[in-house]
Amino acid sequence: MKRKIGLMLLVLVVACSSWVGFAFAQPIKIGVFEPMTGPSAAGGEMTVEGIELALEMKGEVLGREVQIIVVDNKSDKVEAANAVSRLIERDQVVAIIGSYGSSLSMAAGDIVNKAKVPTVGCSPTNPLVTLNNDYYFRVCFIDPFQGTVMANYAVNELGAKTAAVIQDVTQDYSVGLSKYFIDAFRKLTGDPNSIVEVSAYNTGDQDFTAQLTNVKNKQPDVIFAPGNYGESALLIRQARDLGIEVPFLGGDTWEAPEFLSIGGEAVEGAVFSTHFTAEAPVTPESDKFLAAYREKFGKEANAFAALGYDAYMLILDVIEKVGSADSQAIRDGLAQVEGFVGATGIITLDENGDAVKSAVINKVEDGKFVYLTTVEPF
Amino acid sequence: MRKNGRSDRAALLALACVVVGLILANRYLDDYKIRIINLSGIYVTLGLSMNLINGFTGMFSLGHAGFMAIGAYTVGILTMPVQMKEMNFFLQPIVPFLANVEWGFLPALLAAGLVAAVLGIIIGAPVLRLTDDYLAIATLGFAEIIRVVFTNTQSLTNGALGLKGIPNYTNTWWSWGVAFVTIWFVSFLIRGSYGKAFMAIREDEVAARAMGINLFKHKVMSFAFGSFFAGVAGGLLASLLGTIDPNMFRITLTFNILLIVVLGGLGRITGTVISAVIVTVMMEALRFLDESINLGFVEIKGVPGMRMVIFSIILILMVIVGREGFLKRLKGRETSYAEN
Repeated sequence: MKRKIGLMLLVLVVACSSWVGFAFAQPIKIGVFEPMTGPSAAGGEMTVEGIELALEMKGEVLGREVQIIVVDNKSDKVEAANAVSRLIERDQVVAIIGSYGSSLSMAAGDIVNKAKVPTVGCSPTNPLVTLNNDYYFRVCFIDPFQGTVMANYAVNELGAKTAAVIQDVTQDYSVGLSKYFIDAFRKLTGDPNSIVEVSAYNTGDQDFTAQLTNVKNKQPDVIFAPGNYGESALLIRQARDLGIEVPFLGGDTWEAPEFLSIGGEAVEGAVFSTHFTAEAPVTPESDKFLAAYREKFGKEANAFAALGYDAYMLILDVIEKVGSADSQAIRDGLAQVEGFVGATGIITLDENGDAVKSAVINKVEDGKFVYLTTVEPF
Repeated sequence: MRKNGRSDRAALLALACVVVGLILANRYLDDYKIRIINLSGIYVTLGLSMNLINGFTGMFSLGHAGFMAIGAYTVGILTMPVQMKEMNFFLQPIVPFLANVEWGFLPALLAAGLVAAVLGIIIGAPVLRLTDDYLAIATLGFAEIIRVVFTNTQSLTNGALGLKGIPNYTNTWWSWGVAFVTIWFVSFLIRGSYGKAFMAIREDEVAARAMGINLFKHKVMSFAFGSFFAGVAGGLLASLLGTIDPNMFRITLTFNILLIVVLGGLGRITGTVISAVIVTVMMEALRFLDESINLGFVEIKGVPGMRMVIFSIILILMVIVGREGFLKRLKGRETSYAEN
């Protein structure tokens, strides 16, 4: 009994001592909250890799050392709110980077807005993230832009007259992308009946025959099917098995090696929009980033790492410009960012705090992602 | 019964301590710690409401996340300012009869509880004829159905996009106020004849029926009360976070609450309260394990997720140390399997 109490006390003491923390020489602290565990861990890890690389390349600003503090949000909304609150109160960070996943970012929104700590999102593409929040910014474009880009591509490059949409109703970006694709496609073709079919499935579904049979009967020129790489690859495979030969279009989530390995032959010719490609560096900063990434991690960088890198570099650039590491000053600086040269393109932040920047269109060819074209913002 | 007077006084004393504690906390603690205190209160409510169903009445229900979702969405939609609704529902406008609704927090919370309770009765009536594993599967299915429905009703719940901008009404007074109402209500219920009936059902359904207890009525009642408080707690959580989406309310959430209930002891009130607080605080307090630790001469690089490993080990130890809930040794006067 006594020993048990002793053990508990020990745990308590260790826990408390970490809670209190130590305060000495003050570096500039930037908080990072990303999903390091849980279902979105892969995306969070890639982003943190990019941020860590950026820290190595530029670890000092205004003559002070920069320190990043990474906290895990467990791919969970409640944890995300806790994590951000901890960064602000305990670690006293001046700015925050995060998070992969729009819903996780939204959970942080209220807290950073109330505490007035500027936050830069790397890859949350849901328009609601920055809406009505003066302290939330992001370095990626948002769903409406991506959906419109793909509609443009379908109509102008592929000459499509009709399209079918298959969306994952449980994923916010899939729903958002589909909506804007449909709107833009109708406008571009001038035909309100040009979208011949809208089907839906849920994350985790394995069999898409019902949706695909419907789509096949309508005979669209293209199929727009944004969704997770796993489900999308399966869907395309099943479509090819059913004899559907029309091109498939999708969004940035397809850019994963798993998409190719699951889809195999079937995903050949699939086209999707994304933030960045290692193949066609858009700026001198991209070259620098790519080379450094290759050296540190021994592989090609992907869009999430690049966006993490950009988020960090953007904050440091702003600190340098405003000459202060004060949260309010950083926020005001971020609100005025124009033409920042990042690894993923030239970034200008609009009045909502969303990045206005170019999108890249990639195609699958011979089991590889091949760069097709760059689309400038309108 | 004979010790009623004494335990009432003890309860009042505990209440007074917590009130003083909350006043001090609000004055001296930062937002992060206040947030943890709020979460603890919400988890106390959740743990107790689940314990009422699973622990006291002995029905193995796994539908808690579903009832929380109902409560969270009710509060979210009812309290959101009108302009915020317009902004949120940019894919499809919200259904007209909800577009101009803006309620206060208390009526919204009550509505959340009532909607959850009514659904609890509707679901419970057919489902509670099942027992054990079958009941668990049926309620689990119910919670999943709720989530899928909320994902697909774009004009009612905004679907997968979720809701953002729910006013932050939840503070320590709300979260712990509700927690205390739950504690009081559950202990009141358990002391009375309903509680006796619940426990009789838990111990032996056939015997209970032979004693003249209306099984159906009591089971549905316990289920409805449980879902009421789950709905209210869901509403508090929505208001604390300010944003909700259907994916929040997955099975894992139910398991988190089940963990609190089992750890505190099935059919124990004090145990549930303490384990809810410990589990919530520990998840945050163990965060230092994820970070790099600087020992002066060596720096150990942090491994994300390490706290989850340690947390699980602590849980396993706790379960081994006290199988009936670790609080049995502290105070063993509440009703539990062992004593009956």
